[in-house]
Amino acid sequence: MTGKLWSKANFAGYKRGLRNQREHAALLKIEGVYSHNETEFYLGKKCAYVYKAKNNTVTPGGKPNRVIWGKVTHAHGSSGMV
Amino acid sequence: MAGEKKAKRVRKVHASRNPVLARGIGKYSRSAMYARKAMYKRKYKAPETKIEKKKREKEPATITKPVGGDKNGGNRVVKLRKMPRYYPTEDVPRKLLSHGKKNFALHKRKLRASITPGTVVILLTGRHRGKRVVFLKQLGSGLLLVTGPLTINRVPLRRAHQKFVIATSTKVDISSVKLPKHLSDLYFKKKKLRKPKHQEGEIFDTEKEKYEITERRKADQKHVDSQLLPIIKKVPQLRGYLRSTFSLSNGVYPHKLVF
Repeated sequence: MTGKLWSKANFAGYKRGLRNQREHAALLKIEGVYSHNETEFYLGKKCAYVYKAKNNTVTPGGKPNRVIWGKVTHAHGSSGMV
Repeated sequence: MAGEKKAKRVRKVHASRNPVLARGIGKYSRSAMYARKAMYKRKYKAPETKIEKKKREKEPATITKPVGGDKNGGNRVVKLRKMPRYYPTEDVPRKLLSHGKKNFALHKRKLRASITPGTVVILLTGRHRGKRVVFLKQLGSGLLLVTGPLTINRVPLRRAHQKFVIATSTKVDISSVKLPKHLSDLYFKKKKLRKPKHQEGEIFDTEKEKYEITERRKADQKHVDSQLLPIIKKVPQLRGYLRSTFSLSNGVYPHKLVF
């Protein structure tokens, strides 16, 4: 059987200035990536936020999952945020 | 000696005789360039344009054809270019010419340097995700032709997309493997399954409701695999490697892996 082929990341917040946030872009902390030069592998890769909700929507695989898709556009800062 | 040489000597093309001052601006004017390129020595007559040619040879507008029957007068004069039998209600304006927009068939196909024939490659999407598979060649559409081999990891001769594949540095020597020439995109293209018509109910079961593996595919698979398997068996542990699947576990980060 297949194992995991994806990497985990934490949603760290939206792209923001100090007092305003832009909700169309998010900041992600990818597990294992803690410096700027390590983020190169992940640039351009797709991200998916998978969550469950009460009303089942149509999904391939038949499970009650919902997804928000996105992709990694660029690095943020020097500690591997993206 | 010089007389023996033919009139067409191979001429070396000279670099531009007009040094660049800024992009698009050269140092010399048109008349100065004319002198520098010695165009006064190189005057060619322009080949006869199509318009002039057409004026010379006027094609016949009509043809006389023989016609049967007794009192029909034997011949008819038939126009070669007939008037259109239909004119659209509104005149459609001509499309503007576009430049550099190529059809998919004319696109340039690229292949990553890390993918060469015989590379072991990891499939990332599709029902075979995570499987390690041998790359055979790149097809005309740019997709990669890949095989398990079937007996090792149940991946048949299949197409894979270059972007959804990780190339490893493990390579199998495929130079002695002869691939049948008919393996192309057309061979692998998905066939449209015909849905049964509603009118007849269940009486008429139209062909191919499910996908069936044709005998041809099985034969081709055998042909390719039988050449690959002995090569794979020679390399220690390669067979087991191809049987295993790739996955990430705790603490394994893809940016730290060396493929």
